[in-house]
Amino acid sequence: MSALPSSGAVLRTGPVSPNPLEVDRISKSFGSVRALTDVSFAVPPGQIVGLLGPNGAGKSTTMKAVLGLIRPDAGMIRVFGRDVREDPVSTKRQIGYVPESPSLYEFLTGAEYLDFVADMYSIPPDVRRERIPQFLAGLELAGHENSLISGYSQGMKQKVALIAGLLHHPRLLVLDEPLNGLDPRSARVVKDLLRNLATSEGVGVLFSTHVLEIAQAICDRVVILSQGSVLAMDTVAALRAHAGLGGSGLEDVFLALTGTGDLSDVVAALSR
Amino acid sequence: MDLHRVRRLGGVLVASQLRSGRSTSDPKSLFGNPRLIGVVDVVVFLLTFGLADLAVQSVGVPPAELLPLVRDLLPFLPLVAVAAVLVAGVMFELTATSKFSGSDSANWLPLTPREYVAASSAAVAYTYSPAIALFLGATLPLAVATGTFYPWVGALVLSVASLFEGAFVVEMVRSLTQRMSAVNAGRRGQVTLLLRAALIVVIIVAFQFAFNPVLLFGLLQHAATIDLVTAIVPLLWSTQALTDWLAGAPLLGLLFAVGQIAFVAFLLVAAAWLRSRFWVVTASEVRLSALRYASGHPMLRSLGLSESEAALVSKDLRGYLRRRELLPMLVIPIVLIVIGLVEGGSIGGLGAILWIGWVAGFFALLLATTSVGQERRSLQSLYAFPISSRTLLRAKATGVLLPSIVGAVATSVAIGLLFGFPALAVLAIALLNSAAASVLCFWGLVFAARYSDFQDRPRPQYLRPLAMLEATGSGMVLLFAIVIPGGLAILHPVGENLVWMVWTVAAILLGGAASVHWARSGFDRMLRELPF
Repeated sequence: MSALPSSGAVLRTGPVSPNPLEVDRISKSFGSVRALTDVSFAVPPGQIVGLLGPNGAGKSTTMKAVLGLIRPDAGMIRVFGRDVREDPVSTKRQIGYVPESPSLYEFLTGAEYLDFVADMYSIPPDVRRERIPQFLAGLELAGHENSLISGYSQGMKQKVALIAGLLHHPRLLVLDEPLNGLDPRSARVVKDLLRNLATSEGVGVLFSTHVLEIAQAICDRVVILSQGSVLAMDTVAALRAHAGLGGSGLEDVFLALTGTGDLSDVVAALSR
Repeated sequence: MDLHRVRRLGGVLVASQLRSGRSTSDPKSLFGNPRLIGVVDVVVFLLTFGLADLAVQSVGVPPAELLPLVRDLLPFLPLVAVAAVLVAGVMFELTATSKFSGSDSANWLPLTPREYVAASSAAVAYTYSPAIALFLGATLPLAVATGTFYPWVGALVLSVASLFEGAFVVEMVRSLTQRMSAVNAGRRGQVTLLLRAALIVVIIVAFQFAFNPVLLFGLLQHAATIDLVTAIVPLLWSTQALTDWLAGAPLLGLLFAVGQIAFVAFLLVAAAWLRSRFWVVTASEVRLSALRYASGHPMLRSLGLSESEAALVSKDLRGYLRRRELLPMLVIPIVLIVIGLVEGGSIGGLGAILWIGWVAGFFALLLATTSVGQERRSLQSLYAFPISSRTLLRAKATGVLLPSIVGAVATSVAIGLLFGFPALAVLAIALLNSAAASVLCFWGLVFAARYSDFQDRPRPQYLRPLAMLEATGSGMVLLFAIVIPGGLAILHPVGENLVWMVWTVAAILLGGAASVHWARSGFDRMLRELPF
């Protein structure tokens, strides 16, 4: 699809789609506030799709709608071809979700929390005994797993939330700012893991971030949301070309597309 | 101590409490302004003053006959002030989450512990001042009519001092329980967490009983050496001061009054010392024994629960013991049962059955109504998990029923032993109270599914206040419709109790069926969309 589609462009690949995720013209209002307007995009198998946009653009609302946490006023969301409202329980089994600010049960230890999550997804004991220690070691949480989460740093909580989202081998990952608070090594591990899951296992990844360098580095495609509508949707290279900024980075493209390119006045005012 | 800083911080704490109690807050509105409490004080005072004045004028009783009433009432105003702050303080102030409990931001502001304690105590005292405004307004016409206006002014001063006395005690308990929350840092095992929970419960119960007005009134009424008791218990010095003043011994009264003020000052110093000595900024690391990562909970699974239901119940039960803000919920039935046992000799067999039934039902209702709201922002995780509304309902109900039924059976046996009931009657009481707790559990879940409050507040309220009132009122009607005929059925000889028995069974079946039906529809609706 070319960049800058008209608002409300529909992406459909037929009645039964192999796409892990299809968001089809969804709209959502909270009272008088219009949060989403005719948002459409897809996450094909094996692709990492970045969801970008300024604060309040509707990224988290979109992700919550994908999970069925909020109900769109209009439009449809399909996960592996099925309407998420049809059978929400089995749909959620296929999704791994990391919320923007993980609200974990802080009175549990990290290990207890992950065991609890494993029970929720009915992960067999032998699988959890193998996978949880691997994740803990990989993200350098080993040795802290028997401490209460209330004593964890923000980054450690984020790691627990990430492990919880990945533990059950999801086929679609919905990650809302997943690298928040992670140290550089762990962030690298997560980025490489996502790339590996997408490439070798065909997992679809919807990934929101404010750090445009990260999006540029790992996303196959990006969807730019602004004020609840899709402003642009394509590969980073195509967006660059479309914005007439061929040699620029994603940050310049993003600022140009969202109309916030020239910030010199703001910086000058704040420097006084 | 910088009084300006104390006043500013106190104002912020009061505003925080006022604004956190409502989902939408307009900072410019009077309802979010600390002046609101002052306005409530004045309105309550004028209202009760007007009503009491009208009563005094219309009844036309001679002042000499009113004087004994004034002598009875005025000395107890300071005790009312202490009791109001302590009861409300334990119920509301100490249930604040660790994130807000000490107003953590005060820890990195340039404040001394004494300034913080003074500001926080002033905020607590001011928040609960309408309780004393009510009594001061009601007693002023009596004092004017009987020529005891100056002792009334003394009661006002000592009542304000007593509000601070209670508030300083709340601060002391706050520091001690916070210390208990972190005292096991670095140690391993579930036992340490259980010990921590038990210690916090003991501290709160001990302070409740030490300052419980019921016990203090009892002490005053029954103690032969009343002067000795009041002389050695500083809490009663205000009462003694006013009693002496009204009895024509103003100098002795002044001595006790000065002693009371000095004691309040001492409590400020003690509370500040406890804060500086025991306050822990954040919960320290608590380590537990290593987990085996296995699908477990065999005991819960043996009750017929699925893997995810058992995990949810286990999580909730751990929360009751590990979450400091939930522990006071466990204190409530303990205090109520102990009061019932202390007073047990005078309430009779039916009274005892009703009391235990009420405690069991109320406890189940309290746990159920708060069971969904206590998920707070973590509710988002539950929505993201692949679980159905029925799974969540069964888990929540089991998490409430387990402690409620265990408590109902244990207290039924205790009451049975105390009153010497036959074994069959004890069994019937245990069954009755378990059934009442079960019905009230589902009745509470009806409200929890619809009106839970998930806001991250200094004082989590779990259920919207109006819904809590509705749930409690309707729940009590339902509860008494079960336990009153049930108690009569147990106490009547076999054959004569048929009507009461039929009534009880009908109330349990009808109330239970309606509650389960509405709880199911509520959970179905709740899980359709995240409420925040």
